[in-house]
Amino acid sequence: MNFELSQDHKVLRDSVRDFVEKEIKPLAIKIDEDHKIPEELIGKMSAMGLMGSYVPEEYEGAGLDMLSYAIVVEEVSKACGSSGVLISAHTSLACDPIYRFGTAEQKSKYLPDLATGRKIGCILLTEPDVGSDVSGMATMYRREGDEFVINGGKTFITNGACLGTGILFATHDKSLKHKGISAFIVDLKSPGVTILKNEKKMGIRGSYTTAFAFDDLRVPVANMLGQEGQGFKIAMETLNGGRIGIASQALGIAEGAFERALAYSKERKQFGAPICDLQAIQFKLADMYSRIEMSKLLVYKAAWMKDSKMNYAMESAMCKMCASETATYVTKEAVQIHGGYGYISDYEVERMYRDAKITEIYEGTNEVQRVVISKMLLA
Amino acid sequence: MKILICVKQVPDMESRFKPDNAGVWFSDTDLAFRMNEYDEYAVEQAVQLREQLGDAADLTVLSIGPDRIVEALKKALAMGCDRAVHIQDPAAALKDPWQIAAIIAAFAKDKGFDLIFTGLQSQDRGSAQVGVTVAERLGFACTTTLVGFAFADGVITAKRELEGGVKGVVKLRTPALVTCQLGLNVPRYPTLPNIMKSKKKELVTIPVADLLHEEALAVTARFYPPAKKGGGIVLEGDVGDMAEKLIAILKEKTNVLR
Repeated sequence: MNFELSQDHKVLRDSVRDFVEKEIKPLAIKIDEDHKIPEELIGKMSAMGLMGSYVPEEYEGAGLDMLSYAIVVEEVSKACGSSGVLISAHTSLACDPIYRFGTAEQKSKYLPDLATGRKIGCILLTEPDVGSDVSGMATMYRREGDEFVINGGKTFITNGACLGTGILFATHDKSLKHKGISAFIVDLKSPGVTILKNEKKMGIRGSYTTAFAFDDLRVPVANMLGQEGQGFKIAMETLNGGRIGIASQALGIAEGAFERALAYSKERKQFGAPICDLQAIQFKLADMYSRIEMSKLLVYKAAWMKDSKMNYAMESAMCKMCASETATYVTKEAVQIHGGYGYISDYEVERMYRDAKITEIYEGTNEVQRVVISKMLLA
Repeated sequence: MKILICVKQVPDMESRFKPDNAGVWFSDTDLAFRMNEYDEYAVEQAVQLREQLGDAADLTVLSIGPDRIVEALKKALAMGCDRAVHIQDPAAALKDPWQIAAIIAAFAKDKGFDLIFTGLQSQDRGSAQVGVTVAERLGFACTTTLVGFAFADGVITAKRELEGGVKGVVKLRTPALVTCQLGLNVPRYPTLPNIMKSKKKELVTIPVADLLHEEALAVTARFYPPAKKGGGIVLEGDVGDMAEKLIAILKEKTNVLR
């Protein structure tokens, strides 16, 4: 048994770390304030290969493995949770289902643009009344000749306003529940797509969270992803992989906050000594770091299991649940260690505290993760 | 054009260094390592030269040390070098610059290298002797401390940094060796696709015993942290005096004032 990263993974980690330190970290405060990741930065991340880390080389991706992808999202999220989820939602929720369920033509048509960041991907699953229970989907499709015609609406779409390539889920008969759902690859610049709004949020403010309406959106028949009626399965399998991405984002946010809290505790002097001399602070640091290491082991293990073609559904649920709860815990304590300064934007831990919360909610709430885990235990 | 780039893996300079058991060098347990900063400029300059020359250039990167230094070689490959040579030596840290230069020269001899890039010095030992000694042993032209580099018609034009911000320009014919200084270029990030491609590049391992036939000329006798001092210098006197003293110190000890 070996818990050490391979030399190739270390080279990758160090390269991404250097990139993040110089290109992303200085912009993180502005990204939060502007509610936008600059196009120029998305261009740089794309040139670095961050948008297609595990997309195969034949589709212009880097062709690396899932562990590499987890490391990328982790390192980026240490500096900026918004940039982390941009990569995670794009890779896990758009590139991944096209690669796994797409036809040869669909892969050659869509993956190169996604893997190189020329287009940003997203998944369109959630609706105003459809969250954890996907089977109640109300967005409808019908066939007309060589096209599907889609009507309805989607909400909380991460990366939505980038108007790139979306994986859209719709039903042709609500009474069939999850068996009626199919998936489609859609160009979000098509006629019939309207942005209703970009949500204002507690955290990850640089990431778009978009509400869409679809009014007679016409999609060629060739753009159905997988078989008709396979949509629910595609959604569930896609979310399994996506959880590793979100777990990596949560892990990165926690590490970013911890690094700052540790450094601050050595600099800040009260009662004539650095506050890290106080046991109250030392115990916080010990708890924070231990939880980070615990989460990291779970995240890397889930990624390794996916790379090893093992069934990783339970591990991806556990790593997402643990890493997100670590993130909210660690960022909260990081603010506390900073005292009053922790509440000030310039010190960044307050942003991380806000950014962390969503990781307990999206890509399956942690309550759903517990359902997944306990079901597998009791099966 | 055959180009050799010599790199060293060094500890992250923000590490806390502790003496090893013998007390002659730092202990490498718990340290994070990375490519020597000056060697990154060397790799970058070689890759830029290849971009200028196209396939006519062939880049070999070399490093000496234990297995962990392969990481530095892999980074150089991902930055654009064509092949890597790992001279395997778990005790490289105990060798003096003369021996390190002898190993590199023994490898490079008769291989037809036209140009060798090295860093100005390593961030850990900082002798700045290895590059120039390799040049001497191979009979190559050599210049050091490059902050500018151009190559045309077989002639290298090297801009050098001299003391006090003065620059000099040196022209030299190949075969030549140059050592690279901060400011020469901005090293590129290895991109993910290039990291993947580098996995398929050739990486040769050579035991150090095949190349080293020299005794050390110098031996590090002791490695120790500086004695702990009190809280710096406290200036006294009236404001004018203190300002004078401060200016004198800044002039003498730093580059802030000249």
